[in-house]
Amino acid sequence: MSDYSPTILQGQQTNDDEILAKTPLDAKALGGDSSVVIMELLQRFKVRDVMKRQVLSIPRKATLREAQRILRENHISGLPVSEDGRLYGIISVNDIINGLDHGWMDDTVDMHMASSLVVLEAGMPISFALRYFNNYTYGRFPVLDSNRQLVGIISQRDVMRALLYELSVEIRKLERKTADKVAQPAPPSETHFFRREWAVVHNDLTGAGRAANEIKQLLREKKVDRSVARRIAVAAYELEINICIHSHGGVLVMVISDNAVTITAKDRGPGIPDIEWACRDGTSTANDWIRSLGFGAGMGLSNSKRVADFFEIESEVGKFTKVTCAFNLKKLEAPAGGTAS
Amino acid sequence: MTIADVVKVLNGKLMAGDGTSPRVVGAVVANDLMSDVLLTDADDVLLLTSLASDQAIRTAHIVGAVGVVIHNAKPLSETMIKVANDLGIPLVSSPLSKYDACVKMHDAFLAEARG
Amino acid sequence: MTAAEIAEKVGGTVAVAADGAQATSVYVGDLLSDVMGHAGEDCVLVTIQNHLNTIAVCTLVGCTVLVICHSRPIPPDMAEGAAREGVAVVVTPLSQYAVALALKELPPSTH
Repeated sequence: MSDYSPTILQGQQTNDDEILAKTPLDAKALGGDSSVVIMELLQRFKVRDVMKRQVLSIPRKATLREAQRILRENHISGLPVSEDGRLYGIISVNDIINGLDHGWMDDTVDMHMASSLVVLEAGMPISFALRYFNNYTYGRFPVLDSNRQLVGIISQRDVMRALLYELSVEIRKLERKTADKVAQPAPPSETHFFRREWAVVHNDLTGAGRAANEIKQLLREKKVDRSVARRIAVAAYELEINICIHSHGGVLVMVISDNAVTITAKDRGPGIPDIEWACRDGTSTANDWIRSLGFGAGMGLSNSKRVADFFEIESEVGKFTKVTCAFNLKKLEAPAGGTAS
Repeated sequence: MTIADVVKVLNGKLMAGDGTSPRVVGAVVANDLMSDVLLTDADDVLLLTSLASDQAIRTAHIVGAVGVVIHNAKPLSETMIKVANDLGIPLVSSPLSKYDACVKMHDAFLAEARG
Repeated sequence: MTAAEIAEKVGGTVAVAADGAQATSVYVGDLLSDVMGHAGEDCVLVTIQNHLNTIAVCTLVGCTVLVICHSRPIPPDMAEGAAREGVAVVVTPLSQYAVALALKELPPSTH
């Protein structure tokens, strides 16, 4: 169900679930281009491309009761108070609840509306809108044009819907491009494999670890032995945190084949000048901020090395660091007639 | 000792999970450094920590912990509680210090062993 | 309790000795901001943080005995800082939990 109907953005009125279903979950074809695509979208899209244009509104001297009726009939939670395109305030469900509580329902809306408003301008890039949603607790912002006239309203849902739609289009384009490039068959040892990739953002310590948690859940679903799954998840977690706190950002990739799981962490720099030093237990370039978050004790690389059956690290200063950890899934075969120890 | 018993012993408050988990605490890890927690080989760990962040919950999930206790009645963010609920990790807030909690957990283990 | 007595109880060694270093209570913590906020004077600080910053925190809260767990090595600058500031450092193979149990006759530190 959408807020503020009808809207002229008919072309984008696709059901969110449908877009999600069309968006390939395994975005392997994207490679390193994925975050570039997103950044580019956030800049290219303007608030006016995404906002709802046909905005319902109410004049200042209407009563709270009338506002309540419009909110209810249109299934919306906030209504701009405006006259001739000029915005005076917003009346929300909360104001109605207060009105019911205090017997204000026959008061005019200008007595109870929120009048100090945060607004967006129609020409701002979508990245601004995302920052506003992040910085303020409001679910929607009125949009003004350069003449300070009310021209639309934008909700988080509008932004997500538009981005999801555009992303699915971009992903399909990229997939077609790479599919042409890698049309040869995969090597035989990797015929039955599962691959998934997670983007890891620099300094995003609230999100860091999410990939490792998902990896652990995936391994559980795929019935990977518990203790092996734990070792894999530990390596994934340390590598994910490493990308997050030490690099400019990167990706974590898990590949499950018939007999092994490989976790690869690749970042976009700055690279490690002295790999031997970095792998030593207890050495770290972490600052106090990182330490205050429970990491940065210089155990990340040594921990992942300790739990992995195979460990490899490559790095080029100014370019990248790539860490590969592999784990055997199949136990060594017991000799015929004997018992496994 | 289940998570419900832990809540009682540490004078705590259950912030995530419903407290009916039948899992029994097999080992106690008292640590604020998540890399160090990841090093533990123990199963069914109860994590006692002062790290009131999502990372404590995520680490607990990786090592398959029975639950997480946050000390000194530190305020817990809504996202931390949400992550705990999403990952199915019982989360307890205790007014005790970590040291006090270690001693009380040990005493409770001894009492349990004595029947 | 002196540093030597503490070392004996936790099965550790005194890595840095300090004259008159004594502890009357215990605080267990690895987040230095948390330690600064909650540890009181004359406590023994039990931690995994083998770092010079830990010595700075000890001097700020008035703690003269430090126990480093899991046999984490003491870097030279940390040992020098400890000696200079009169903080005794004990290194033990035990975990923080095990050290807490070994010291349980001491009361919790109050701020």
